[in-house]
Amino acid sequence: MKDVIPIQTNNTETIAVSKNSKNIYQQAIDTFSNFCRARSLFVLHYCTGCGAIELPPAMTSRFDMERLGIQPMVTPRQADILLITGYVSIKTLKRVILTYEQMQGPKYVIGICSCTVNGGMYWQSYATAKVLSEYLPVDMYIAGCMPRPEAVLTGLQQLMKKIEKGEANSWENYFKRYDYYLGNQQHLFGDTWHTPTDILEEARHYHLYGAESTGNNTARLIKYTVEHDLTKLDAPLREKDSMTKRGKK
Amino acid sequence: MSGQHIFLELILMPLLAFMIGLFLVLMMRKVRARIERRVGPPFLQPLWDIIKLYVKKMQISHGVIHDLGIIMLLGGYITAEVFLPVPGMSGFTSQGDIITLIYLMMVPSLGLALGVGQCANPNGSIGISRALTAMLAYDIPFIVVIAGACLYYGTTDLTEIIALQKSQQWGLLSMPILALAGLIAIHAMLGKEPFEIYVAPAEIATGPMVEMSGKYLGSLFVMQCLQIYTITVLYTSLFLGGGYTWFDFIPKLFLVALLPVMITVIFPRYKTDDVLRWLWKWPTGLALLGLAIVVLQG
Amino acid sequence: MSVLDLDHVFFLLIVNIGIAVLWGNRPFVGKILTLLYILEGLSILTSYHVLLSGAVLSSSLTFTVMQQTVQWQLGVSGGFFALITFMAAGLATWFSSGVWARSYAPIRLLHSYMALNVAAMLLLLASNDFLGLFIAWELVSLVSFLIIAINGGRSAKAAYSYILYAFLGAMAILLALIIIWNATNSFSYVEVRHHWSTMSVNRQLIVVLLLITGFGIKMAILPFHRWQAPAYAYVPAPVAAFLGAISSRMGLFALFIVLLQVVGIDVIQTLWLPFEIINMQTFLLWLAALTLIIPTFIALRQTDARLLLAWHGIGQGGFMLLGILSANALGTAGGIMHVFNHASYQAALFFAVFSVSYRTGTADLDRLGGLVTRMPISFTVMLVGIIGLAGLPPMNGFVSKWLIYKALLDEGMPLLFLAAVIGTLGTILSVYKLIHNTFLGQLRLEHENIKEVPWSMSIPMMILASIVFITGYFPGLLLESIAAMQSTLGISVVDYHLGGVNTGKGNLNMIVVVSTMLMAIGMGALIFFVLGNPRKQVTQWDNYAGGHFLTSDMRYQYSHNFYPGLMRVISPLYRNTIFWLESAIVSTVQFMAHISYALFMQANYLLYLILLVVISLLWVLAV
Ligand code: SF4
Repeated sequence: MKDVIPIQTNNTETIAVSKNSKNIYQQAIDTFSNFCRARSLFVLHYCTGCGAIELPPAMTSRFDMERLGIQPMVTPRQADILLITGYVSIKTLKRVILTYEQMQGPKYVIGICSCTVNGGMYWQSYATAKVLSEYLPVDMYIAGCMPRPEAVLTGLQQLMKKIEKGEANSWENYFKRYDYYLGNQQHLFGDTWHTPTDILEEARHYHLYGAESTGNNTARLIKYTVEHDLTKLDAPLREKDSMTKRGKK
Repeated sequence: MSGQHIFLELILMPLLAFMIGLFLVLMMRKVRARIERRVGPPFLQPLWDIIKLYVKKMQISHGVIHDLGIIMLLGGYITAEVFLPVPGMSGFTSQGDIITLIYLMMVPSLGLALGVGQCANPNGSIGISRALTAMLAYDIPFIVVIAGACLYYGTTDLTEIIALQKSQQWGLLSMPILALAGLIAIHAMLGKEPFEIYVAPAEIATGPMVEMSGKYLGSLFVMQCLQIYTITVLYTSLFLGGGYTWFDFIPKLFLVALLPVMITVIFPRYKTDDVLRWLWKWPTGLALLGLAIVVLQG
Repeated sequence: MSVLDLDHVFFLLIVNIGIAVLWGNRPFVGKILTLLYILEGLSILTSYHVLLSGAVLSSSLTFTVMQQTVQWQLGVSGGFFALITFMAAGLATWFSSGVWARSYAPIRLLHSYMALNVAAMLLLLASNDFLGLFIAWELVSLVSFLIIAINGGRSAKAAYSYILYAFLGAMAILLALIIIWNATNSFSYVEVRHHWSTMSVNRQLIVVLLLITGFGIKMAILPFHRWQAPAYAYVPAPVAAFLGAISSRMGLFALFIVLLQVVGIDVIQTLWLPFEIINMQTFLLWLAALTLIIPTFIALRQTDARLLLAWHGIGQGGFMLLGILSANALGTAGGIMHVFNHASYQAALFFAVFSVSYRTGTADLDRLGGLVTRMPISFTVMLVGIIGLAGLPPMNGFVSKWLIYKALLDEGMPLLFLAAVIGTLGTILSVYKLIHNTFLGQLRLEHENIKEVPWSMSIPMMILASIVFITGYFPGLLLESIAAMQSTLGISVVDYHLGGVNTGKGNLNMIVVVSTMLMAIGMGALIFFVLGNPRKQVTQWDNYAGGHFLTSDMRYQYSHNFYPGLMRVISPLYRNTIFWLESAIVSTVQFMAHISYALFMQANYLLYLILLVVISLLWVLAV
């Protein structure tokens, strides 16, 4: 099964949304929305690895994130930014993906620490996911072992600029190119990998369904869910018997 | 009053409440930041937060009751604002007195509780359980305060209470003990530390807000603004003589909100049992003392 | 106005009983009985304007004993209660008339007992003097014993303890009547009232206390509150709704008539308990307040939805008494209005709970959850019902409670006001637990294929829910007859209009309040739906669990011991002393029954002889 999984590393370009279809009011609303989005960022810090220790100074009186409109939040539902603060073990990655999928778009992922960029000093570890952006669309890496709070804040400010310009749209890629991300996830976790969030259904609902949303990997996921009578891909609660026999992780 | 006038007030009173509430929230955050030696959020931060949440592109719901709860929550507070007299506008105050107002203020809590219940998240349910327990805790002193004030003024009509204070003296001067007990009760009502049992981020993942996202969370932020506004206006009307004009009314509101905020920052959180015991002991005792004085004075 | 008016109703009731007894098993009979109840209700409603003007509906039923002519006439208060009775009985029968009846074997018994209950209650409501009252009272006790015991098992046990209490009550009433007869030589209300002051103060006190004991037992006021909850909870659905809605209010009706019409609240106010510790009115008010608080907080601890509601029924009875005894126009109005309001939402709540247990087979609050997606109508009915029970706007429970709060504040009783609010707060906590554990939270695996109950069950629920809302929107509909009641009793009359009351010192206009609420909720909906993207519904598994993957084999729900912090603080207060006392009485009576049974069966003449000798010796010695 492994041979069919494509490993692509170049996913940084954003699939362009045609802006011509929008009239001037919509553009004005978009500009204003982006203006507000850039000024209010709720952070969910997924404190893996060492980098978490740099966040308390960034939040408290020394550097004070709140003056930039950045606030820590508790659950993925409330957050805009997922901060991954260090190396991500494979077990952790499952949770990171679950958490990411439960966040509401526009959502941004920031990888702090070199370990998220390329595995850093854990390059040879069998249990660490090396390149975070293969599994999730990462908006920004803040490299360093570990980066100082100034670096973190600078990174956040750069992200804010990007958001204000309306360029921080890589979260849409997760829907538009779900097949690619799912393939990489399956590569690590095996064919039975699935999460409670129905990404394809959401992609359809939010009009983010693209040509690359489905493919071999999503076909495998759908096959698995159908085989196990786990029809979560069609709104389980409306479907008969869908609640029974839901497999465990 | 003409229909047009009424309609204007129906729109204007909640809108003003929201705007003032935004600044009350801003003040709370600023004061907290300053006490913690931080700079604090920019001027329009609460507004940016709410707009950002409303313009989130993904909005998820756990079912119809989740939505309905949020609508009830907004509707309940909008109703409460119309029954709350402010300078120049008295809305429908003469058609529903302070008892009505207190019970109207429970409608949004019920809406929130229903919405959270539908989310099927035990953290949320625990949050609601604690919120209702806290309500039982702080409403007892609060009700004694209300009863004392109503006995003293001899009416339950808020406009009349304000008029009486303007013609005689402020409730704060005539009933200082009740006013103090009321201040503690509204501190607990605002759900700030040390009475913050139902949010408890580290413990139950912000309780009621755990599954709230996008405009759902945004509506909760709006509710926070309206809640602070409603509670401070109620206190101001009972003890600080309401507002003569907007120029003295708004500073009073900020003053009332400021005192709990100053205290809240230096406290950690009580556990549920201790909230109950503490609120049933000290503010309730004070309030009963104040009530006794009011009754004995005749 | 015509003599035959009440005969008409009595005749219909006899037809009712006859049909139920003869053909109660047939499938269509439930519908016919429902129609008959509605007809009876309508026949009172059509002549209701007569009642409002202060006249009475009389019947030809009469007899004379001890130079006392006992006759039955329905006044406005009786008419008001009779309408509630017919509403409850009609809707309960409707509920049981369709699919439900097929699942219940002794349906004929149920229909017959229900008809008997309604007839006995009407006799009570139409009674016009103490003798008629007493006869009807005993009838009501008997038939409610029958209907409570219908299922056997736990409810029969409760029925047994009820009948013991009822005996005690009957004895108390009888004693009071003897004292009254001795003093006044009459049983008619007017005569007794006229000659009331000829009794010594101690006698007056004893009579009032005895009457309160006797009638209070039926409405389970405080020391006698243990029997009611199990008796009302473990009965079939229509019976529970009927009993919970109106049955125990018969005690309130009798107290209302006796205390307000015969004795007079002014007399109560001047009576003092021994050593002048406490005024009779204050004593009764505090008794009512305790009857409100203690059962409400017992309800908070229940895990069975039916028991929870039954306990609240007792607590709300305290609310009514609180209003009636407040000696204030608003308070009396609130108390009486609460009878109607309570009947409507309590029946709706019982229906909703029994619908759930009809579909799921359980009313255990720890074994339900998430049913809102499966049973939306029952959910809506329960929502309306709990808002009513909790006394929040816009439902009718709020209006009656508001009247009572206002009366207590106006009369300068802030502590009683506090007690009333504590009762309400406890109610809010407990009803939220009820709706959360039943309908909200996570849906259980075994309930996945549950369906809404059939129309024959959901229509009566919806009717009740709309009554709860409409009488909350236009409380004037009820206040009209209450004002008439007050003016016939000669107590101060509430100044009402269609939307509520004017007091001059704080008004309530529910039309404005509810319209504003509806408009505000519309505004809220507008804000919510127009702004922002359309929402996407997710499944209950797509939920925050701190990074944990939720699966169906693990419950992710919070329902058991819903208020742990509160319980830790107040649980030392739940000491079941009264329960011990009651079980002691019950077992003593059972013991005595055994002894007398043994004596009787043995027919040991020697023993009787010895007993006779002993007793006569004692008598001789005593004399
Ligand atoms: S980059 Fe360095 S500091 Fe950061 S997680 Fe890796 S090893 Fe730790």
